[in-house]
Amino acid sequence: MNATAQAPAHADPGRPLKVGPGRRSSPLSWRWRDRVALACAWAAGLGLCLIATAIVVYMGYRGVQYLRPSLLGSRPALGTSQADSGGFLDPLIGTALLTLIGIVLAVPLAVGSALWIAEYGRPGWLARVVESSIEIVAGTPDIVIALFGLAVFQLSLLAPLSFTASGGGVFGKSFIAAGATMSLIALPPLFTATRDGLQAVPAHMREAAFALGKTRIATIRRVLLPSVRPNIATGVTLGISRIIGDTAIVVLLLGETLRLDPQGSVPGLGLLRGTGSTLTSYVYGNSPAGEGAAPQKAYAAAFVLMVLVLALNLIVDRIGRSQAEATGLTVAGAIA
Amino acid sequence: MTRIRRLSAVLVAAGVLGVAAPAGASALSTITISGATASYPLVSLLAQKYVKVHPHQVKFKIAQGGAQIGVNDVAAGRVTIGDVSRDPLEADPHGLVFYPVAKYAICVVTNKANTLATLTSSQLISIFTGKTRSWSAVPGASASGTIDLISRTSVAGVLTNFQTLLLEGKKVSSIAAEEPSEGLLRQQVENDPNSIGFLSNYQSDKGGVNAVGLGGVACNKASAVSGQYPGVARFYEVTKGKATGAASGFIAWILHSRAARKIINTQWIPVT
Amino acid sequence: MLKRLRDPWPDHRAELTLGAVSLLVGGVVVAMVAFVGVHAWPTFSHNGLSWLGSGGTLETQIANMQATGVKAPASAYHLRAWPLVYGTLLSTVAAVVLALGIAVLSSIFIVELAPARLRRIAVPVIRLLASVPSVIYGLIGVLVLVPFVGNDLITASQKASVQNVVELTGAGLIVTVAILTVMITPIMVALICEALVSVPNSWREGAIALGVNPVRAILAVTLRAARPAIVAATVLATARALGEAIMISMVSGSRSFTPKPIDGLLFLFEPLRTLASAIVDYHEGVGAPALGSTLYAWALVLLFSAFALSLAGYLIKLPLRRYQVRG
Repeated sequence: MNATAQAPAHADPGRPLKVGPGRRSSPLSWRWRDRVALACAWAAGLGLCLIATAIVVYMGYRGVQYLRPSLLGSRPALGTSQADSGGFLDPLIGTALLTLIGIVLAVPLAVGSALWIAEYGRPGWLARVVESSIEIVAGTPDIVIALFGLAVFQLSLLAPLSFTASGGGVFGKSFIAAGATMSLIALPPLFTATRDGLQAVPAHMREAAFALGKTRIATIRRVLLPSVRPNIATGVTLGISRIIGDTAIVVLLLGETLRLDPQGSVPGLGLLRGTGSTLTSYVYGNSPAGEGAAPQKAYAAAFVLMVLVLALNLIVDRIGRSQAEATGLTVAGAIA
Repeated sequence: MTRIRRLSAVLVAAGVLGVAAPAGASALSTITISGATASYPLVSLLAQKYVKVHPHQVKFKIAQGGAQIGVNDVAAGRVTIGDVSRDPLEADPHGLVFYPVAKYAICVVTNKANTLATLTSSQLISIFTGKTRSWSAVPGASASGTIDLISRTSVAGVLTNFQTLLLEGKKVSSIAAEEPSEGLLRQQVENDPNSIGFLSNYQSDKGGVNAVGLGGVACNKASAVSGQYPGVARFYEVTKGKATGAASGFIAWILHSRAARKIINTQWIPVT
Repeated sequence: MLKRLRDPWPDHRAELTLGAVSLLVGGVVVAMVAFVGVHAWPTFSHNGLSWLGSGGTLETQIANMQATGVKAPASAYHLRAWPLVYGTLLSTVAAVVLALGIAVLSSIFIVELAPARLRRIAVPVIRLLASVPSVIYGLIGVLVLVPFVGNDLITASQKASVQNVVELTGAGLIVTVAILTVMITPIMVALICEALVSVPNSWREGAIALGVNPVRAILAVTLRAARPAIVAATVLATARALGEAIMISMVSGSRSFTPKPIDGLLFLFEPLRTLASAIVDYHEGVGAPALGSTLYAWALVLLFSAFALSLAGYLIKLPLRRYQVRG
């Protein structure tokens, strides 16, 4: 790496370092340990980028090979083999529905807790407990959360939320069950994003509102919440991308019927109480790990999933960049 | 403003009632079924036909998991009917009633490239119990190298029947790979040139694998019907106590109706 | 009453309501431990803690649990799940060690060494890796990597040499660890990059002024200052690797076999099973009392590992606070 004769850049800590005029430090003059480190760093960085590109390109190639627009509109075939016919309309609807339920349940909980922690937070030990607790939920494997959800929704108290079999056993698997459990997955990124946004609001905004005679809750409603809207949006997008990508909860809690299977006769509630599938469980089921033995369908659905995830990533990027211009944020942003 | 709010509240309530009332009038009963992966194709076809023949009366929810899962689920009251692909065992819970609905043959299968035509009973036992480990020790096999045994997980009724009927009660070696469903077993055999496994005749008749005969008798529906092939087992629908209500209607239809018999005759063997 | 709800709330009511919401959220962890613990209790009461040890074949024990179904005698609860614990530890530690090295080097590359154009491409690309769902990793693993390893890397003689003990199909340790590493590296890269960027420039300039070459300056100064972030990243990555269920159930071979390093090269190809992937594999049997209790016992172990990791991360970062770099 050659140092060039330029003034050091203060405002940009990430710039490769520039040394004073006349000094040239060529890697050939360094100890071999540092040269090896330099080579390894380049190899690791480029290697990681290449792997990411390879994954995207391969999924794109397979997706273009196997995805037909008719697949998006037709329902999965009944019976055993998915390889012959049928599309994945029901899994698409299932993904959308599950995401909706998860986010609708997560937003009030996450924003409410973040507001309480950032604005009130008394007593202090309780605030720390709540924060640690959300951190623990963030670090819990999704399979454990899924088993917890199964244990909760198989309680006879919650039988109306799924369906009761003839012998009295509560099924415990439905869109409501899976959606409520998914909200636990979306909660931590939403909470963190909202709380960080609230903490970044300068104190003088709150003080100005108090000086005008507004109560704390009014300040929250009129001043703070509107200013953290981008943070909440980022959090929601991160939460959505986590929900869309989660498979374990869907496999355990959604009943894994290829088609949407409403339960009971009330139209909307029946759908929520019923079982179905999502893109992720459809991919899992059609891969050699599941039942359908239809890798072409699995690739097609996986491609759609990748496109959704890429789109969500772009949205997070866009929101993050508009915020970075305002606050000078970092390279990495918030990764779920 | 308040009047508009009150009016909209009334409209919403009326809407909900209007939707719920006629919906509540039609009582659709749900039959839940879980169990064997081997009988799943048959039972789904039967269920589809039943719904066509008796519309707006029943709904089916069919899951799989394996014959033992079916037995456990129906005994615990989690499902109405259990699909079971093996005969009742001593260890099964009391009070279950087994209704035989069809017969099927258990075929030994190898990869299509492996042109093994037939095996004797003792060869079969020696291969599946892990005594013979290399294809070179099996006359008639065109594969070479290690024998890859593909079996089923312990909940499979087909596995229980395979061991009882064709392995003289001996257990499949623990080296064997355990697949959780017929479809996956067939996929493994199709992809691995050195593999050997066992499937119901519905799966092996589909053509992607080489069905191996036993003692010179080919394994297919015809030899099963004629009684020459020794490895023939039954599918059962199992209920807790005698079948009642919608379940008894469905099972009676399977046992007695001509439409059901026609479906069974396509790939399987009727019981009577 | 509706009017009371519509009027602006007084502060104390708002505080109580929001506090109740937070308490609800905070209580989720307690509820998790309670539910999982209650369901896992029978396994502990029948086996004590020795179910984490070895003895017998796990698949046989599970088959026994499934066969006894509804009324499970005490013998049905017998469990020795050491292969699962070993598989979890082996795959997690291997993946985290590999990921740590790759992540630190990549972070240095992105923050310090890459030219601006390359950095603008690299950052979103690596963030993309972090958001790819695990089922897609599993799909590529099972449809591309496993056949490649099974057909092209494992020779017939290698298969024959272990044919009396285990079947080598390509699904095993090396594919599992490789994909797991790729999954957790981006998480670490994000955190470490953030920390490297926030190290004050003057620290680095001071090192250079003393005559150290730039790479050495990075290694000796910047990286050391980012140690809290590296610790946090490792903890996060370990938690992720520990809990990965779907991808591992697709590519690990799903046999409770303990790969041993003394097997030489074959060690990399031997199948394994982890706690999380075993839960996914057997989840359909959760209704049978003995098997259900076993699954919850495995989940309890994973839950406590998540606790322990959070605690460990917190404790390790305490003495590193003196650098006052955000971590």
